[in-house]
Amino acid sequence: MKFTLRIWRQGGPNERGGFVTYLADEVSPDMSFLEMLDALNQRLIAAGEEPVAFEHDCREGICGSCSLVIDGVPHGPDRGVTTCQLYMRRFADEKTITIEPWRAKAFPIIKDLVVDRRALDRIMQAGGYISVNTGGAVDGNTLLIGKDEAETAMDAASCIGCGACVAACKNASAMLFVAAKVSHLAMLPQGKPERTRRVMAMVQAMEREGFGSCGNQYECEAVCPKHVSVRFIAMLNREYLRSGILGTKIPARSDPPHGESY
Amino acid sequence: MSRVKVFFNSSVNSKIVASLAGLGLVGFVIFHMLGNLQVFEGSDAINGYASILRDMPILLWTARVGLLAVAGVHVGLTLRLALRNRQARSVAYAARRYRFASVASRTMALTGSLLLMFIIFHLLHLTAGVIDPPALDGLDAQGRIDVYGKIVHAFSNPLYVGIYVAGQLVLGLHLSHAVSSVFQTWGIEHAALDHLFKLAGPGVALFVVLGNLAIIFAVFLGLLRT
Repeated sequence: MKFTLRIWRQGGPNERGGFVTYLADEVSPDMSFLEMLDALNQRLIAAGEEPVAFEHDCREGICGSCSLVIDGVPHGPDRGVTTCQLYMRRFADEKTITIEPWRAKAFPIIKDLVVDRRALDRIMQAGGYISVNTGGAVDGNTLLIGKDEAETAMDAASCIGCGACVAACKNASAMLFVAAKVSHLAMLPQGKPERTRRVMAMVQAMEREGFGSCGNQYECEAVCPKHVSVRFIAMLNREYLRSGILGTKIPARSDPPHGESY
Repeated sequence: MSRVKVFFNSSVNSKIVASLAGLGLVGFVIFHMLGNLQVFEGSDAINGYASILRDMPILLWTARVGLLAVAGVHVGLTLRLALRNRQARSVAYAARRYRFASVASRTMALTGSLLLMFIIFHLLHLTAGVIDPPALDGLDAQGRIDVYGKIVHAFSNPLYVGIYVAGQLVLGLHLSHAVSSVFQTWGIEHAALDHLFKLAGPGVALFVVLGNLAIIFAVFLGLLRT
């Protein structure tokens, strides 16, 4: 197969970028999209040119490293797959394919197609954790979790944090990502201790990073490689309302009630 | 930062308040449409209805000021959100394909702005009578404001019919996404009822728009005349 590739090239974070057209020939229909780019890079290296920088790691759709907006759709034309799981047989021969990085103010470009997604990590640091005591492993049946809750929590937990939801959203909103993380932990008993403050902290962190707000367009769900449902966004909004009502704390005394004077 | 500023710095809070205000406005357009349908009962009914409203100046002005405040809150908050959303993506995609997002959902800021302009025009036209007032003194036989005459005068003119029909289409688009969205924004979702929530927007939009269009076309096609 033969393709014309329009690829976004940008030397560094503060440099001007632009599209460069490459010809990819001798492409096997069984190549994945990333293998097609690998082959292009080999050729570029052999010709003494700078290879196209793009992110990848596991190449089996679970790490969330690969990105790429392919012909205007994050992760390309197939639903429920990441870019590494996309095969060239999916494209018509001799087609022009436009490849762009995730575009969001919160995801600054590092180079070419590689963007800095640490904003999502900082949201996780703000509240995407649970407190557990270390020590011997707890017996499996100590905490009983209903099958339905476990399944729903797992649906939310299947988010791999790739950021396609942000890339697809007209407003570059990270609501689906935050919703998946908040819902996953809010539904399980292990997540209950921080439930009220977690949603506040994570939404606050999300706003700080400069993501947009949710426009209820559901474009995020349509591109999510893990089919994370927008119903979790409703759950996030519910958790947020709940937290707004319950979150007012009883003011802490300055001196510990049982403490001796230090 | 003040507490109010902290509260509205959260897009989720802003959206909840904006949607509450928006729902107030939706309530008004439904009430407005149903009230105006009395034009089909003849000039006496609609002029009487208008004079009842005007006979209660305190209630009328409270409602007017309240509506203005609610509209102000809605416009102010959504404008702020829209500006922040523009900033969230500074470089646009060269190729862009939407998979799911409806036209209505993608044009909320545009339809909202057009709607605001239409409402200002409508107030100047049929409420204040600054634009194109009827030739006569505008009073009916009983000395009441002749709302019926104003409506017939306005919609006999193809220019105003065009503007109002366009206004209704914009209103319909805006409402069809807005009303369905409210459920999601308030965190109301349900496996089975979600279909109804999705239909609520287009349903309300169709109800209001068809009601209003009925009045416009009844006059234009000569079913209602002085």
